[in-house]
Amino acid sequence: MLLSEAVAGGPQFFNLVPLVVFFPLIGLLVNLIFGGRLSEVLVGSIASLATGLAFVVAVLLVISLVGHPDGASIALADWITIGELQLRWGFQVDTLSVTMMLVVSGVGLLIHIYAIGYMHDDVRHNGDPSRYRRFFVFFNLFIVAMMILVSADSYLMLFVGWEGVGLCSYLLIGFWYDKGANGIGNALAAKKAFVTNRIGDFGFLLAAFTMFGIFRTFNFDEVFARVPEVAETFPIAILMITLFMLLGVAGKSAQIPLYVWLPDAMAGPTPVSALIHAATMVTAGVYLVARSFPLYAVVPMAQETVALIGGITALFAATIAVAQFDIKKVLAYSTISQLGFMVAAVGMGAVVAGMFHLVAHAFFKALLFLSAGSVIQGVERGEHHVEHSSKQKKSTKGSGGHFDPQDMRNMGGLRGQMKITFWVYLIGALALAGIPPLAGFWSKDEILLEASHLNPTVYYLLLAAAFFTAFYMGRQVVMIFFGRPRSDAAAHASESPLVMTVPLMILAGLSALGGLLNLPWTHTFGHFLEHTIKIEEAVQEIALGEEAAKASISFDPIVAAISVGLALVAIALAWWLYHRRYQEMLSLPPAKRPDDPLRGMLGPVFQLLENKYWIDELYWAVILNPYIAISRFLADQVDWRFWHDWFHDRVIAGGFNALTRLLSIRFDLGFIDAIANGLGSLTGKLAGRMRQFETGYVRTYALSVFLGVVIILGYLILR
Amino acid sequence: MTLQTVLQSTLAILPLTVLVLWASLLILVDLFIPDERKWLTALLAALGMVVSLILALTRTGAQQVAFDGMVVIDGFSIFLQALFLVSGLAAIALSHDYLKRMHIDRSEFYILLMYSISGMMLMSMAADLIVVFLALELLSIPLYVLAGFARPRVASEEAALKYFLLGAYAGGFVVYGVALVFGATGSTGLADIVSAIQAGTANLNLLAIGAALILVGLGFKVAAVPFHMWTPDVYEGSPSPVTAFMSVGAKAGGFAALLRVFVIAFPVLALDMTPILWVLAALTMILGNFVAIAQRNIKRLLAYSSIAHAGYILMAIVPYGQRDVSPDAVASSLVYLVAYALTSFGAWAVVIALEKAEGGGLELEDYAGLARRYPLLAAAMAVFMLSFTGVPPTLGFVGKFYLFRTVIDGGFIGLAIIGVLTSLVSAYYYLRVVVFMYMREGEPQVTSAAWVNLTAGVAALATVVLSIFATPLFTWASQAVLQLF
Amino acid sequence: MNFLFYPLTLVTFTPLLGVLVLLFLKPEQKNAARWVALITSLVTFGISIAVLVQFNLGDPGLQMVVDVPWIQVAGWNISFLMGVDGLSILLLLLTTFLTPISILSTWTAVEERVKEFMVFFLLLEVGMVGVFLAQDLFLFYIFWEFTLVPMYFLIGLWGGPRRIYAAVKFFLYTMAGSILMLLAILWLGIYGGTFSVPELITTGGIPADIQLWLFIAFAAAFAIKVPMWPLHSWLPDAHVEAPTAGSVILAGVLLKMGTYGFLRFNIPLFPQAAIQAAPWIAVLAVIGILYGAAVSYAQKDVKKLVAYSSVSHLGFVMLGLFALNPQGIQGGILQMINHGLSTGALFLIVGMIYERRHTRDMDAFGGLWKVMPVYGTLTLIVALSSMGLPGLNGFVGEFAILLGAWEAGQVDGPLGSYWFAGLAAVGVILAAVYILYMFQKLFLGPVDKEENRALKDINWREIATLAPLLVFIFWIGLYPKPFFTLMAPAVNNLVTALQTAALAMH
Repeated sequence: MLLSEAVAGGPQFFNLVPLVVFFPLIGLLVNLIFGGRLSEVLVGSIASLATGLAFVVAVLLVISLVGHPDGASIALADWITIGELQLRWGFQVDTLSVTMMLVVSGVGLLIHIYAIGYMHDDVRHNGDPSRYRRFFVFFNLFIVAMMILVSADSYLMLFVGWEGVGLCSYLLIGFWYDKGANGIGNALAAKKAFVTNRIGDFGFLLAAFTMFGIFRTFNFDEVFARVPEVAETFPIAILMITLFMLLGVAGKSAQIPLYVWLPDAMAGPTPVSALIHAATMVTAGVYLVARSFPLYAVVPMAQETVALIGGITALFAATIAVAQFDIKKVLAYSTISQLGFMVAAVGMGAVVAGMFHLVAHAFFKALLFLSAGSVIQGVERGEHHVEHSSKQKKSTKGSGGHFDPQDMRNMGGLRGQMKITFWVYLIGALALAGIPPLAGFWSKDEILLEASHLNPTVYYLLLAAAFFTAFYMGRQVVMIFFGRPRSDAAAHASESPLVMTVPLMILAGLSALGGLLNLPWTHTFGHFLEHTIKIEEAVQEIALGEEAAKASISFDPIVAAISVGLALVAIALAWWLYHRRYQEMLSLPPAKRPDDPLRGMLGPVFQLLENKYWIDELYWAVILNPYIAISRFLADQVDWRFWHDWFHDRVIAGGFNALTRLLSIRFDLGFIDAIANGLGSLTGKLAGRMRQFETGYVRTYALSVFLGVVIILGYLILR
Repeated sequence: MTLQTVLQSTLAILPLTVLVLWASLLILVDLFIPDERKWLTALLAALGMVVSLILALTRTGAQQVAFDGMVVIDGFSIFLQALFLVSGLAAIALSHDYLKRMHIDRSEFYILLMYSISGMMLMSMAADLIVVFLALELLSIPLYVLAGFARPRVASEEAALKYFLLGAYAGGFVVYGVALVFGATGSTGLADIVSAIQAGTANLNLLAIGAALILVGLGFKVAAVPFHMWTPDVYEGSPSPVTAFMSVGAKAGGFAALLRVFVIAFPVLALDMTPILWVLAALTMILGNFVAIAQRNIKRLLAYSSIAHAGYILMAIVPYGQRDVSPDAVASSLVYLVAYALTSFGAWAVVIALEKAEGGGLELEDYAGLARRYPLLAAAMAVFMLSFTGVPPTLGFVGKFYLFRTVIDGGFIGLAIIGVLTSLVSAYYYLRVVVFMYMREGEPQVTSAAWVNLTAGVAALATVVLSIFATPLFTWASQAVLQLF
Repeated sequence: MNFLFYPLTLVTFTPLLGVLVLLFLKPEQKNAARWVALITSLVTFGISIAVLVQFNLGDPGLQMVVDVPWIQVAGWNISFLMGVDGLSILLLLLTTFLTPISILSTWTAVEERVKEFMVFFLLLEVGMVGVFLAQDLFLFYIFWEFTLVPMYFLIGLWGGPRRIYAAVKFFLYTMAGSILMLLAILWLGIYGGTFSVPELITTGGIPADIQLWLFIAFAAAFAIKVPMWPLHSWLPDAHVEAPTAGSVILAGVLLKMGTYGFLRFNIPLFPQAAIQAAPWIAVLAVIGILYGAAVSYAQKDVKKLVAYSSVSHLGFVMLGLFALNPQGIQGGILQMINHGLSTGALFLIVGMIYERRHTRDMDAFGGLWKVMPVYGTLTLIVALSSMGLPGLNGFVGEFAILLGAWEAGQVDGPLGSYWFAGLAAVGVILAAVYILYMFQKLFLGPVDKEENRALKDINWREIATLAPLLVFIFWIGLYPKPFFTLMAPAVNNLVTALQTAALAMH
């Protein structure tokens, strides 16, 4: 009844949309200005409240959208206005953007709350409690930027958020900027992330320029309105736009070849990894492609490329995840892989499937990261306990010397001490592995289904990826929670406080039931989105083709069966390897005990995977080192030694002085000056010779006058 | 020629007459002035110049011919006469204390100065080549003596000797040139020469050679390359106030003759003379500026800078043959002469303030730290250096601006480019003086004398103010020129 | 003489009053000197605000014109002609805005000969303001050359160890360019019978081939000042040796005199030549962007890094101006302001740390954010603005410039190739590289140097010097519209003039 009223008088809620940006903004300002004097809990609560209010606004928008599905576009103020270039601070309210708002603020809210507890320990563990406030300021700032990104009504506005989230990612990856390898590791990781994203932004900018060149605007609606006409006259332009844009997508959504920053980004505190580098920011690229669907739809070649990149990334990253030992690194590569799924989907034109997976993934991946955080802190607590209790020094196993609480080799058997964490982690893992009836199953299945119709190659890539996904999740769960503890820390690990576990349980619930959003038979979510992603029939033809159009509403048991089957096989394999074999290995003496059963079986291949195909090293060799070398060369050799020192100081200044000396000594009988000023030894000798004809001066002067006369007269006579 | 006409003529050139008579009387008066009161002589000499200056200025706008057209009184001459007399006054202001300090406090100094000035004044009025020569000698001979005034200092005597020998030598060329011109046109009067040329009775080749020789002689006086050799030695050797006076007066005198003779009598030779002048100007600018860089002695530095500036003025004379440009050529030269005179007198004042009895205090090093100890003096010197360089807001800039405008108007872009490039070069050594004064630490010794400081101050002020309110100067110069044509 | 009380003459010459007062102070009255200078510059700023208030947005032409006959003899109509329009108003404000800030920054930094310092500083302001207001070539040249003198002394007297070398180099280098311009000015004066820029523009009709020569002569002066690659060799010396306030003004205003010169003289006076030269200028600009970025990345001395970054940033400005379309030019003008703000702020920031540690070697720092949180945060904001983060001023300018360059890249456009904008956009990546490198070296990582542990965070005076800059960094970033509306009419005028010129060529 209340709802119906709201629906009745819906649209005025649309005008609230700027608040999704302003609430977090206010929150961050409050914390920035007064936070210093407030208690940690209060600071965290303010930040969470700000995000929560944004969530409420998003909900209100949904309510209005039910009644007025076409949404609206709200302008706040002008931004850049030069001639034809008319940019404004504008907000787009439609089902697509509001979906994102819901995810960002909803998941964001839960992670904020979780962080209240997590950061309390984290700042103490890292020994600088003063940064507690800073964390929530940055966190709210991120929500601001992300909201700008998803609520933008034009590509440029989107770009503002796009770079904004990049900045927050930089700040939060480098949150412990004085920690990490050699104390600088985290800072470097942050820089890597920002610069890599800048490369993507470069593509985005070029796309924007091309777009303005053709469409004379950046506004979504205006651009899309003219797509068909341009598709007739000048398809190349659209191809350029979409491909340039793809570079941006690859940067933000960590696709090949720009994915390298995401694994390093795990240097940030776990809530950051969960919110920014799993649930929201990294999905911006997916959102961008979905948003630009009308553009991609008319250039199949671009769609091919996007889908292929997504597919390859999905498989590629999944394989790497198999051989990682850092609990967060595994999840990071898993994220890359899952993003590959989404990109592939939206690339193929299966926008709904892609977005659906985006939402589901937001749930379970956030869940996994947060639980991982809970695990890590559990182990850390265990480590503290060990250090304090044990009088006699007990050596903690794992990465020798310094104990690494994120190394899964130091875990094992945690399900005893951390029950809640274990169960929620399990749910998340199964969801990710695509086991029905969890959310991941439905969304992934829909993608596979579409792929099977639209793009066989991608279909097989994704299928393989799905297999590895199930495997490495199985491996992870087993290594963390099953078997015997492999370190004293693990043995003494303890469960996290409620403020952390409650959000986990909520997320677990969402991960379990998320599938209801878009069951193949109801397709609620699909119909919700179609209001935004509606395209002319003509385009529909090119984009999906007949049977695809059908496929998108049906459900294919075979496809589902295959994927689930593969998943189960993979999990079984993981269980066998890491439960059975691992236990057996433990009986071996530490010296010749491999840390991973696969290492023995795969040998070099495992090496390859463990070292991530040496891609980072490759980039260093091919791009970074050369650039550093070049800039050094330019700076030291070209600009300084050659241009500054040699050319200016030697050639110009030196030549100048040489000319002076020449003129003053040779042509001006300047030996006299030379004597007078005792310039140099050579001139000194000259001087010696000159003294003899002291009276010779006048004669020489007269001579030169005479010569002058002769020359002049000569000229006059001979001319 | 009746007594009456002689009388009229004498009245016509009254400023000159007065100055000469005053000087001659002063010799006698001086005998009755006790040694400890010699400043009185200086005062009287100055008074004479002031009187003569006033008389000269009252004649502004007048135009008359005297001594059968051998001299003319016109704006041009009056402008220059004013310049000469002011220079004379400045010279007195600079020398009074200096002579005492150097123990050469002899009152002939002032009288010789007055005679030399009268020679310059005559030069500015000379409308006949004979008079030009007369004036040349009249202005030179006292200068020879003045150059050696610091005897028994060897440098000074040597300077005097060199200046005398070479001056005589150069004078010879003038005489010979005059003779040739007479041979070519049958007259030495500028007006007659012109009419002869117009009548076509003139032998132009001969005329050209004559003109060239006159150019050489005068080129020596203005210290144009390659007739400049004497300048550094003489400037260094002579007592500084004399050098100051020489560098302004003698140069201006030389240009006075050069301008009048060439613009009035030899426009027809422009085709021959332009290339020669072009080369002379270029050489003078290049050599003067470059060689100045090698100098560590401020007097020699200023000597070369004075050579360079002669080059800039010569540059403006290059297009003297173009009827539409020549007025600007003369006017810009006059303006620049004023700018140059003000600036160099100021600069010399500072030099004199730092010079020590035994001839020390003349190296650039001696200027180190001047800005800390004597900020005003340093500031003044900085202004002069900037003015020499041609950086606004100084008269030096305005002057150069006018010169270059003339050259470009005459279409000699190449020469103009040489001009600006060399003035860039000059910035290098003028700035070095500033660097020493402001950016090097040192303990400069300064003997501050009221008159010297006054000269420096007034000059500095004028250099800046006149550059901003330049209109009167320009108007005066351009009107002074009108009657030439 | 009542023309002395027109707004523009007032804003130009007010600092002279301060100089006058200063002359009567004793050398030991340091604080008095500081206050006199600060107040004078603030009053000047106030007057410039008054000018802004009087400024009529609709009018594309010159406003508040002061036109007093000056030297009218001998056929040269030189008049004391001043005026302000959309092209110059912002730069006028930037100048009067940065001067008090710089003076404030010297409060504790300059202890030697404070009085003289302030005198030269105020004289410099006169020169700079005059340059932006003069509409008569003679008058312009006087101000232009005059700025050399005080800057020469500021570097040479209060600079670092190699200050004399740097000062002389700065003087000679700049003069070398301006003297060629002087000849061109004289030629124009003779050709047009006047030195008044507006008249010369209206008469126009300079033959194309001569236009090119004059263009080159003017460009020589301005390109050195900007400085455009490869004429930048004086810049690192001048910046590294100059005192902080000097660097701020040098980067903030003096360099803009170069870009402004192109905008005010080269383009309107020689439109055809400008169109012909555009691609060549753009080539140099793009090289400058990339070269400057690469070179600054390899610097050890943070001040040098910032200095070279100017080469890169001003490359953007030049690229924008010679895109010859509204986006490019307006972006270029705005970027002049942006660079003045961000790089000015960066030099202030470098100065602050230099005052504390007396070194600028980036290896001597690290982890400062922990020791000096406020300082670190403000630096971060400035750094981000300088690398063009959307929402801050740098982006608005850079984006407009790049878009303009891209538009100009059409086959029939002035640049004729998309490569210019494309490569320039690479500069955006490289900017991130060296800026983040700098921030990391200074502020991130552990505090591993003993000397850095005890560093004091910046005090209120220092915050007060940065705060005004930050305000504008955000304002321009979020709502640049007022700035664009100020310049739009004048720029559109210029563009239409260019189009007619282009038509005349074909």
